[in-house]
Amino acid sequence: MSVYVYAITSATHPLRLDGLKGVGDPPGELRTVCTESLCAVISDAPEELRAKRRDVAAHQDVQQRLLGEGTALPMRFGLVGPDDDAVRATLEEHAEHYTQRLGELAGRVEFNLKAAQAEEAALRDVLEQSDEVRRLNEITRAGGTHDDRLALGEMVAQQVEANQQALAGEIVEVLRPIAQAQVISPSLQDAFLNASFLVDKDRAQDFSEVGRKLAERYGEDFEFRLRGPLPPYSFV
Amino acid sequence: MTVVPQSGGGAVATGSGTGNLYDIVELILDRGLVIDAFVRVSLVGIEILKVDARVVVASVDTYLRFAEACNRLDLEAGRKKPAQLTDIVGEVTEGGARGKAKGALTGAVQAFTDSLQEGRNAEEVPMERPRRATRRREDRED
Repeated sequence: MSVYVYAITSATHPLRLDGLKGVGDPPGELRTVCTESLCAVISDAPEELRAKRRDVAAHQDVQQRLLGEGTALPMRFGLVGPDDDAVRATLEEHAEHYTQRLGELAGRVEFNLKAAQAEEAALRDVLEQSDEVRRLNEITRAGGTHDDRLALGEMVAQQVEANQQALAGEIVEVLRPIAQAQVISPSLQDAFLNASFLVDKDRAQDFSEVGRKLAERYGEDFEFRLRGPLPPYSFV
Repeated sequence: MTVVPQSGGGAVATGSGTGNLYDIVELILDRGLVIDAFVRVSLVGIEILKVDARVVVASVDTYLRFAEACNRLDLEAGRKKPAQLTDIVGEVTEGGARGKAKGALTGAVQAFTDSLQEGRNAEEVPMERPRRATRRREDRED
């Protein structure tokens, strides 16, 4: 029977899985497969897994529990192996690698920060910065040509992008000193900054606090969405 | 999990449980460890709205929309300039501004308790977008 793999931990992890449900409907029963040094948290793989919200939440719940009680390598959602023996074989084969990663991630958590700026505020910044943008804005307000409007839009789009990249850099620089590592992802539809940080657990509160301060400093034109402590999805 | 409004400032949302998966769903689906020999189930038909990478589209439509938005701006309306980024890290470490941020701090501590000690958030909450200050309607091209 094929098995769904949630995470890999050291054999010394308490692996308290009571009360947790696996993916699938009905939810799979969680169990572990262990070698001398490592364990994998698995369940029987559902016949057809379609990544419903419930399943993603189940996957995440397992990670949060494991994170709360030790160190674990979270698997990407949806990973399925042929059977228990294949999982065991993988643990044996990559034991050194997994053990090393677990060591490096011990006592560390991930934070993900997304930052967004109200569009109107972004446009105001650009208008304040550029005489040419203001000039074109006046012209196109009163009429102007199609080309004037295109020129204005292009200039504004480029400047907004440049400003937000600078803002993203500024924000990351404030958080970088509190983090062990960071992964900056391309901006999203609704966030000009999307960054994950690996943070020591004993600095997690500082990190969160700095995130709050940042939100406060940037003011109401900005929205900061800080999620954490999370399993180190971005750092395995 | 919680959205804590800051007095006179932006909002910061923290939390790590499944109460709000929206902001972390891309981590769960796209990051994390893989085992090369194993397969990944198809995410086709996924019911979760996956966040799209924002493509800065150099298109006529986008430019015209930006131009129009600029034209509509009420330039006379006052705005608050964000405060300068003084040494925020220093302030926090030294505890200089703790009193001021007390309300927010409580929320943060709560979040840690939830996720680090209990490690579970079993309630089924729809994975919806949190309240947000920004809604972009940029045209997208894939």
